[in-house]
This record gives sequence, structure tokens and C-alpha cells, in this order.
Amino acid sequence: MPSPRLLQAFSRHVREQPGSTALVASGERVTYAELERLTRRAAADLDGAGFGSVRALCVPAHKSPETIALLLAAWRQGINTLVPSPGLGAAALATLTAQAHGPLTATAVPGGGVTLSREETDPSAADGFSIPDPAESLLTLTTSGSTGVPKLVPVRTEAFDRFADWATGKFGLDASTRALSFSPLNFDLALLDVWTVLEAGGTVVLADAGASGDAGYLRELALDNEVTLVQGVPLLHRLLASDGARYPAVRTVVFTGEAVSEQGLRDTFAACPGARFHNVFGCTETNDSFIEDIDPVAYVHPLPIGTPIEGTDAVLLIDGPGGSEVLQGPGTGELLVHTPFQTRGYLEQARNARAFMPDPRGGGAVFYRTGDLVHRDADGRHFLQGRTDFQVKVRGVRTNTLEVETVLGAHPDVVEACVVALPCPEAGNRLHAEVVRRDGASLSSLGLRAYAAKHLPRHAVPSSVGLAGTPLPKTPTGKPDRNSIKNTRLNGETS
Amino acid sequence: MSTAAADPIRAYIVSEFLAGEDAEDLTDDFDLIESTVVNSLGLVRLISWISETYRIPVDDIPLEPAAYRTLADIRGFVEKAAPASV
Repeated sequence: MPSPRLLQAFSRHVREQPGSTALVASGERVTYAELERLTRRAAADLDGAGFGSVRALCVPAHKSPETIALLLAAWRQGINTLVPSPGLGAAALATLTAQAHGPLTATAVPGGGVTLSREETDPSAADGFSIPDPAESLLTLTTSGSTGVPKLVPVRTEAFDRFADWATGKFGLDASTRALSFSPLNFDLALLDVWTVLEAGGTVVLADAGASGDAGYLRELALDNEVTLVQGVPLLHRLLASDGARYPAVRTVVFTGEAVSEQGLRDTFAACPGARFHNVFGCTETNDSFIEDIDPVAYVHPLPIGTPIEGTDAVLLIDGPGGSEVLQGPGTGELLVHTPFQTRGYLEQARNARAFMPDPRGGGAVFYRTGDLVHRDADGRHFLQGRTDFQVKVRGVRTNTLEVETVLGAHPDVVEACVVALPCPEAGNRLHAEVVRRDGASLSSLGLRAYAAKHLPRHAVPSSVGLAGTPLPKTPTGKPDRNSIKNTRLNGETS
Repeated sequence: MSTAAADPIRAYIVSEFLAGEDAEDLTDDFDLIESTVVNSLGLVRLISWISETYRIPVDDIPLEPAAYRTLADIRGFVEKAAPASV
């Protein structure tokens, strides 16, 4: 687990409650004693690989007890683990591994044990990237960059411990907690629904990564295992609440990632009659920063992101006559936060100057520029309004539509491309691309999708494509008129 | 090109996932999963449509995406599971 304190807690659970269930995966129960056995087996394979003293290891986040055991084994040996999405392409993975100064990749083998491989990486790829220090951080997460190579975010051990303390108290986690882990293991959400729950001695029910859209499977998983904690994007809660399902065992529901529809909210209230409901806001760089405790009989919709979590400092930055200034009182501005849980910075040093800045009111605290536009009302409640840039969330994953446009625009048959986000009941947003072909080009929308799928992560591939014969509508400054394209799509006037 | 009546599976894919788009080059071997024309949520819809249309019990339907990679794959599976229907 991503801190020495967590490892001690895990060892204590192995001693004191060896027969209790640590993990449920693919219908199998894994007790704390069995997880310890898997962990020792992984440790032996790491030791026996003959690579000498290892400081950093890349562990693709296959969602399995074996991967969790491998991470535990690596952390026990004081190794910083980079945990990228297992769906990342080979080229992106090689770049990431090089950037994290870790030539070694370890993959968990089903049934136990580890396969190690050494990648031949270009050492210059690591120029300008800090070396992860295992004494400070055992886990390096990746942000869901919408294109290309994700950003590397080390999670400090002491920041994780502070987060675990907060979450354990706030959500009442203990050995009786049974958490449904819906998101991939490489998401920051796993810090709560996998690692903090294991520290508390509870049970983590791992939802199969491949069946994430399957309502029937998820309902059965949650019911059969009597889960008590459900954290996830609105899509998860909607799938669970479908067909009138009821979960009397659920004690805690956490909405996160994107805005919940009012119907979705009501359905979840009905599905979990014994639960407390929370809307949690955060990002990989800072972990959770805001929380709203939702009262089912007196809620407001749209849901506020709430108020800053204890220990979090938040300011809204606005453009004033003399440059950026801190907003006093109610109003809307870019959210800057400082949380007890935040990273010290990306491994890529050049990124940090833009993303992190000193407290704009003076003082030594480092604030993260979220890029989120947030409105604060007179009562101090905060509401998310949108982004200061081109970022949208597709299935809970931050996606930059401008970057998707750039990738489509690089196709030799494409003259111009514009990508807009359209509301979608299933995915929150879906991407639509409007593309102008070169004269005489035979490119079809299927051909463009296949091209996009090759060059983009799945969530960033537009789910519909319009091929226009005429130039895209433009704003007075000559940029594609995204609002006009979006409105045309929304009003059904397909050209 | 085949007509909707002659190829209901193709017609379903086009109307459900490619509405309003040029689908002329949707060949029998076009990779629907890799191209993300059918994503994981779409796969659930597709499976439920196959189950209803061809009266194949859901328990007899493979859930892994590989079984639905191309039109040819889907047709092959339906022909095996419900030979009278196709």
C-alpha cells in the first residue's frame, strides 16, 4: 500500500483476522492470509529476478488480486511503483516508463507470481523528469491525459496517510466495510475504495474492468457481496439503480467525477435507503478537495461540490484590472486549491510552474490551478460551472477536445476538424467530430474512426463523425464556431 | 450493398451506432470494437438486441468483446446459436 503505515496495518490484519475476506474478484474470495501468501510469492519473484536493487517499477494496473499483491510486495521492498492503465499502447507505456526512470516492468501472473521485463528505453526521454524518491512516495499515479502520454503524479506517503485518516473518519470505514471498486486500479479513486479500505481491514469487491457497462453484472456483484460503500461516477450509480434494484446494506454513497442528473440522484436515494450520500470533488494532483453531504429530503440541484474538506484552502481567481486577483465573497472564478493530500508536483518539472503556484494572497502554501470554473454563493457553497480550457469529462475521464481535434487534423485527408462535447445520458458527455475532407479524398467516417482509435485512448475517440462538404462555420476571429456546430447537432439539424 | 431485409445485423449496427453517417465501407471484416464504433455500453445494447431478435437466451451469449469484433463474427455466432433465424 502506498505508505509504510498502511503496510503495517495490512500485516496486522493478516495476523489478527487472517480468515476475513480482503478481496473478492471473479467470484473468488481472497482472505487476508491468502493475499499475504500472494504477496510473498510476488516478493520472491521480485527478489529472484536478479535485477539487483530496484528503486522504481512499472506495474500495469490489471485489476486482480495478483496485481494488488505485487504492489504490496514492491512497497514492502521500498520500491516506487508506477501504475499505468493496462490499456495504454506500447509506445506510450515505453515513454512513461522511461520518464519515471524505471527500466523495469513487472506484470502479475494469474494465480500468483510476477513476470519481469527490462525495457530498452531512450535515457534522454527522462531529461527534465525528477527521479521518484521511494522514501517520499511509493506510488506514482498517472493522470488521464486525453491524448498522448499521461502526466506522472507521485502520491506522497504522508499525504496518503492524511487522506486515509480523513476518509476513514468521514465515511466510518472499519473491518466491516465492504467497498465496491468500480474504477480502474490506476485511478486515484482506488486510494479510497481499495487502499484505504484494506488499511481499515475491510473487503474490496473488484468489479471486472471489462464488464463496467453491464448493469446486471454490477447489480449482482453489489447485492451478492452486500457492499456497504459505493464510490464512482454517476454512470455507476445509474447502472446500480436500474430496474428498481435495492441495496439495504449500502451505508455510504459517494458521487464523484462529474455532475449527477436529478433523476439519477433520486434513483440512487431510492436504491440505497440506508445510506448517507456525498458529492466529492477532486483530481489526481490534489486528491479530494471539496465535499457536499447530500440530504435526500433537502438537497439542491445541480449539486454543489460543497465546501472545502478540513485542511483544504481554496481561492477563486478572477481577472482584475491589474491582472489576476483573488475573489472576495460570492462570484465565479478559477478554482485554486491547497489540500493536505496533494502531490509535491509532476515528475516533469517544466509542467509544475504552470500548474502550481504560491498562495496568491501571500504565504508559503502551494496551490494547484484546477482549471475549473467555480461559482461561490453567499453561503460559501461552491458550484462547478465548467472549465477554463477545452476539457470535458467523458465517462469520468478528463478529455481535452482541442487535443482530439489536433489528432484528427493530422490525418492527411483532413482539412479541418472540430470536436464538441454533447450531453449523453450514459457517458456524461460524448464527443462529436465535424470534419472537412480534402477535395477528392476517399476518407469515410468509418475510416476516420479507425484512424482515431489507433491514435487516441478509447474515451477520446469521437462517438459520431460528421463529414462536411463545406468549410466549418467560423467565429469572427476565424476559429471553428464550436457553439454553432454544437447547437446544430443538439437541435437535430444534421447537414 | 445488401439491403436491411437481407442483412438485419448490419442494418441494426448502422442505425444504432452509425446513424446519419456514411456506412458504405462497413465491410464484413471491419473491426467494430477496435474502431470503438461499439464501445462497452454499446456492446450491452447489441447483446440484448441479438438475444431478443434471435431468441437466444442471454446465458448462451458470449460476453467477451472478441465475439462481436466484426459483422462476420456476429453473423457466424448467430447462425450457430439460432440456425433457423438467419
